[in-house]
Amino acid sequence: MKKSTYIVLIAAAALSVSCKDFLKEEPFLTQSNALALADYDGLNKAVAGAYGPLADGAWYGADYVLTSEMRADNATIPVSTGFQSGRYQPPFYMNYSIDNTVGLWGYAYYVISAVNNVLEEIETQGMDYYTDSSVSAQDIKNLQAECLFLRALAHFDLARIYAYSPAKSKVVNFTDCVPIILKTDKTAQDQPARNSVAEVYAQIISDLKEAESLIDASYERAGVADKKAAASLPAIQALLSRVYLYNQEWQNAADYATKVINSGKYKLWTAEEYPSVWGSEIGGSEVIFEVYGKKTNGYDEYWEGPSHMTNPVGYADCAASPSLTALFEEGDVRGTTGIRGKDDGKVMFCTDADEASGGELWTMKYMGKGEGDATSTPDVNNVIVLRLSEMYLNRAEALVNGASISGASALNDLNAIRANRGASALTSAGATAVALERRLELNFEGHYWFDLGRTANGAVTYSDSRRGDNIDASSKYWALSIPKREYDVNENLSHNPGF
Amino acid sequence: MKKIKAFFTVVALILSASVALAQNVRVTGTVSDAGGVGVSGAAVQLKGSTSVYAMTDALGNYSISVPEDGVLVVSCLGFKTAEIQVGGRNFINVTLETDSELLDDVIVVAYGTVRREANTGSVTSMKSDGLAEAPVSSVDKLLAGKMAGVQVTSQTGQPGASTDIRIRGISSLNAGSEPLWVIDGIPVQTGDQSYFTNTSNAMSAINPNDIESITVLKDAAAASIYGSRAANGVILVTTKSGKAGNARFNARVKFGASQLSNDNGFRIMNGSELLNWQRAAIVNAGYNPDDPTSSYYRPMSLLTSDLTNWMDAFTRMGALSEYEINASAGSDRGKFYSSFSYQKNDGITYGTDFQKLTARVNSDYRLTKTLEIGTRVNLAYTMSNDTPMQSLYYSNPFFAGMKILPWTPFYDQDGNYNVNIPENSNTNPLYTAQNNDQWEKQYRLHGTAYLQWEPVRNLVFKTNNSVETTFGEGRRYWAPDPGDTVGTLQTSTTQYVTLTTSNTATYNFSLTDNNFRIMLGQEAMRRSYMYYYVYAPGLDAKIPYLATATASTDETGYSANYRTLLSFFGMFDYNYANKYFLTASVREDGSSLFGSENQWGLFWSLGGSWNITNENFMKGTRNWLSLLKLRASYGVNGNNNIAPYQAYGVYASSAYNGSNGNLPDSPDNASLSWEKNYTWNVGLDAGFFDSRLNLQADVYSRKTTDMLLSKQVPQTSGFSSNFMNIGSMKNNGVELQLDGDIIRNSEMVWNLGFNLAYNKSEILDLGDTDEMTYSDTRIKHKVGERFYTYYLKDYYGVNPSTGAALWKVHEMDEDGNDTGKYTLTSDYNKASYIYAGSPEPKFTGGFNTSFSWKGLNLSAFFEYKYGNKVLIVENRYINSDGSQMSMNQTSRSLNYWKEVGDTGVFPKPVAGNSSNSYTFASTRWLQDGSYLRIKDITLSYNLPENWVKAINLNAVKVYVSALNLYTFHDVDFWDPERGLDGMGLGVYPMTKSFVGGIEVSF
Repeated sequence: MKKSTYIVLIAAAALSVSCKDFLKEEPFLTQSNALALADYDGLNKAVAGAYGPLADGAWYGADYVLTSEMRADNATIPVSTGFQSGRYQPPFYMNYSIDNTVGLWGYAYYVISAVNNVLEEIETQGMDYYTDSSVSAQDIKNLQAECLFLRALAHFDLARIYAYSPAKSKVVNFTDCVPIILKTDKTAQDQPARNSVAEVYAQIISDLKEAESLIDASYERAGVADKKAAASLPAIQALLSRVYLYNQEWQNAADYATKVINSGKYKLWTAEEYPSVWGSEIGGSEVIFEVYGKKTNGYDEYWEGPSHMTNPVGYADCAASPSLTALFEEGDVRGTTGIRGKDDGKVMFCTDADEASGGELWTMKYMGKGEGDATSTPDVNNVIVLRLSEMYLNRAEALVNGASISGASALNDLNAIRANRGASALTSAGATAVALERRLELNFEGHYWFDLGRTANGAVTYSDSRRGDNIDASSKYWALSIPKREYDVNENLSHNPGF
Repeated sequence: MKKIKAFFTVVALILSASVALAQNVRVTGTVSDAGGVGVSGAAVQLKGSTSVYAMTDALGNYSISVPEDGVLVVSCLGFKTAEIQVGGRNFINVTLETDSELLDDVIVVAYGTVRREANTGSVTSMKSDGLAEAPVSSVDKLLAGKMAGVQVTSQTGQPGASTDIRIRGISSLNAGSEPLWVIDGIPVQTGDQSYFTNTSNAMSAINPNDIESITVLKDAAAASIYGSRAANGVILVTTKSGKAGNARFNARVKFGASQLSNDNGFRIMNGSELLNWQRAAIVNAGYNPDDPTSSYYRPMSLLTSDLTNWMDAFTRMGALSEYEINASAGSDRGKFYSSFSYQKNDGITYGTDFQKLTARVNSDYRLTKTLEIGTRVNLAYTMSNDTPMQSLYYSNPFFAGMKILPWTPFYDQDGNYNVNIPENSNTNPLYTAQNNDQWEKQYRLHGTAYLQWEPVRNLVFKTNNSVETTFGEGRRYWAPDPGDTVGTLQTSTTQYVTLTTSNTATYNFSLTDNNFRIMLGQEAMRRSYMYYYVYAPGLDAKIPYLATATASTDETGYSANYRTLLSFFGMFDYNYANKYFLTASVREDGSSLFGSENQWGLFWSLGGSWNITNENFMKGTRNWLSLLKLRASYGVNGNNNIAPYQAYGVYASSAYNGSNGNLPDSPDNASLSWEKNYTWNVGLDAGFFDSRLNLQADVYSRKTTDMLLSKQVPQTSGFSSNFMNIGSMKNNGVELQLDGDIIRNSEMVWNLGFNLAYNKSEILDLGDTDEMTYSDTRIKHKVGERFYTYYLKDYYGVNPSTGAALWKVHEMDEDGNDTGKYTLTSDYNKASYIYAGSPEPKFTGGFNTSFSWKGLNLSAFFEYKYGNKVLIVENRYINSDGSQMSMNQTSRSLNYWKEVGDTGVFPKPVAGNSSNSYTFASTRWLQDGSYLRIKDITLSYNLPENWVKAINLNAVKVYVSALNLYTFHDVDFWDPERGLDGMGLGVYPMTKSFVGGIEVSF
């Protein structure tokens, strides 16, 4: 053959080299969905990541907690304009609308989709697919329990803000809650309708009970900085206690509070400890579940975080309302006041260092971990979600409402707390005393607004003349609007009354 | 794989047809033209055979073995084909007649060339003539206004910067709108490839003088063969090959200068103007400018200090120099072209310059009678220095220069550049330019090697294989402020690699009057990108390199991606008696960019033309109507210009609680696919009076469907949006190109050319919404409107009785439609937003004229855009009605309301003005951006031949040239050109350049 024929043959041979995988170029700096969940390590990372959005500014990273305090009159915008950035206007003036509402929606469903992916993948592949000599079935169950806990918490927080509580929904006769999402549509085309309040609470309880049954009693998430910022058996039970309380299932609420109290894992802070526990890197003896604050978090709110919003040197928009700070009796450590920069760790409310704000006080519950200076870098703080005092308070309230636990009484539960706060012992404990104690203990932790909202006649009377109308027991604000962008893409969503 | 096998089976069948030969004789001879000069590269072929042929060598000699009774067919481009009976002779000299009709009439098109007459698509081409003189850094800048429908927009006038080219409008929101550039048959990388600067245009690697021709493929018939990359048109660049004959050298030297262009009397205020204006504003605000306790203390004594025009201080005369030498040679078997060039261009501000070195070797060699091999190798090194531009940075000299107060001292007490400039955040661009670094160095290689096999005459197999790499190195260094010792350094490393193989088989044949051309091909492309970036904030300023970086504060960035494309394509050309032409093309592209359900896409086109002139019934008119041709085409092509991996649902790393978890990052998108462009085109070509006057007219419509948009999805899915093929838009237009030789004789040639393109874009569908916001909120993409539509508050003018700004409040009917009625308000917040026009020009084009007499040539080229709006955002600061009391203002602000009854003036300046009269989301700053630019005027002189021969040279040419000599426009800014979106915030404006050069051939 001629030379040219050889050359052409060589060229032809080179061309016919297999091109089967030529068009397959997969991303390698991110992980494809299939690859991400292919083994235990992948599942574990996907669960670890699913906690991240809890720290977003729309959720425990500030807003969900602080705007609630603002709506409920525990918090206020400082009178002195030098201490305002304009960030907390909507919860102060209650100028919420469909265009201007709380932003939890997307983040909560993001967490739900993240855990649904994991749950679905485990279900599809089967437990055996993931187990080997170093991974036991219990390891997988622990992950499932964490997912169910997060799914319950996300649905619960959605229900609390975008829907009426079980009690109020009956009063206003509007029972639409939020869509329950148990399988996430990967093509993002489903337009789910809202489930009823009863359905959502049933689902939350069912998820938590399943989590309780799956999780190892001693399980703690490995490899994290703060083990209390991950699900555990007491965290599941504590959340169950609260959910039952909201659903007014008093005996269950008392039973689950008792399980946590009796677990022996937690201890009430003493009056001496109390002012100094709030800026800890890791939650102290009372903390059951919290959200971890750090600048390295993927969801770090930076200037909008809770420690900056409640720091008079920072944005400072969220000050303590005088109607709250006036409630404490002499000697109650929870109502002590001082000067920021001087009395840090010693008192619970502080004025600014120069006392230029005219006596305005800010809570020290987000005093910061000391990782910022509020001028060049904001500080960070953990945000406590569940702690032991709440369990005593949950039980006391359940007992007042007819539950019974042998050896426990509402008065003893309240006094157990008060004894550790430097407050005088009560002699009787009715519903009013329990509610007041709850406000004294849990203020600025995102409870008060929802505590009022979960009772049929809960209402807010504003103490500040700058504020608008009071919030009556059937106000539309007990169920804020779902964001407009969601209505734009989901035809099946009903509107809340008044929005 | 099946496709490749089928392809080679066909090839093998064709090859197996062997040719039987009769009794042969060897014939030798010379082919020459009418003047007796040997014609190289002519084909001498045995009639009726495809395998028996020879090519003439550099001197026109040939040798061929043919049957005694055979007929030789001698053909060569530009000559009429001759047929000669062998008649047993051994020695035959052939003289070819020049074919004036065909001369110069071959154009480069996709995967080959075509006679202009046979072309069915919409194609414009230009030869390299005249490219050499213009003082530009890259060839894309030379296309402005030259070809109908090819709109070239400069974002900036900075040397080395890239341009935005839009062929027949913008076709996409989220995929690219840039055309595909194909150099010597290989699609190449384009755009700005630098990390820190704006001046690393990939196209600057190509020396404009190496270019032989440029062809722009505009419609489906011409471009669809490039399939998924053809939607925005294709620009084919062919570089020079050597010419047969002795070695020829060309040497060129060019020097020039450039300056800020300013042809509409735009300027900042001088000291006394500004002071008087400020004092008026202060009085209007109720303060006393002579009160030393007031924050508005502006005593007349400010004028006694040294005053500085900061714009003058920050700009300078730019300088350009260019040196080039090229050589070419050829023999009967090989051709060679090589060039080397160096260009340096100092910008008109301190700290900006651009340098490049390019080298090229193009070689072609005939290994055997049937095998040819060749290379196209280009090397380039570019180095650009930059300062922060393209936004209103304090260190941007074009912004700082306009706003620093005239009475701010130029030097400090020690005679150094003053950095105590509070009105500019204590930033002095001169200090910045002197002490900071911002540069990019790029090393580029593009090498292509081809092998071509022509086993039988007119059957050509070609494999063309290419490597294109860019290696970039960037540095951005912020020196410490005076008195400090710590510097901040950012460095970048970028790498682009494209590997391409393109393999084709082409066969031409004729059966009586039926002429066929069939081309089959296969291509594969793999492209990778990588960058690596280090941010080191704690450097020792005495050793400002990464060596003194402190790891704890350093940050790094890394990204990389790959994309692949695999293609099979075919083309079929047919014509009957050169009267009726048909072209069909089909291409199947598989791309790694798209979802598994849509990885392969089919693109096709159909084009036909009718050359009416060749009909018998037109015989009578041929004396004046030399060409009349109708063309029509329809086809579909695609746009795959999106980022990789978007079809994949992915998890991304997300840190929380001291560990790295994973979170879903994007949803699965297995149906992600190409944007498609459906284009029809109808055209007319006409030539009059022996082609002295030529007309090309086209009407087209291109519709983009399956436009990629980010569709909002229910967040209950965990995501907010998904990238989907849901939108559509269209571009309709008309193009006209007219060229004529007014005088054409042996002594004198005068020609005139004119082109005009009208294009109108319209958004048809945006999925969920009927309006989307562009990256800048002052522009919307709205259904029913042009692609870019300004969305601004409707400014009315000044209230003649108070001097306050007035706005229109439009009355709406119940359906929300504008009733056309309006009321006036002085409250900006109550003013109505309106859709205020588009930065897209209605018409673009240019005209040119060239006059030659003996060795003298004068050519001028004008470029225009008409009907586009521009928004001068800077006015918010430099015509601030008093809101900016620590910035200089432009002289336009002097024409303000002074007394009752004044209209058509600026509002009354008020110190501390907060009326928003100066706000930038306002029609007040919207202006007609139309312009007519004297783009290029060149006067050259070829020294008489007898003079240069006397000193043993072939030719000597001297020339002077001006670029952007003058621009007619009404925009209150340095230059009207402000980018595609018309906003050009903080850009380095266009400049005027003047160059002189000499070119010597020997």
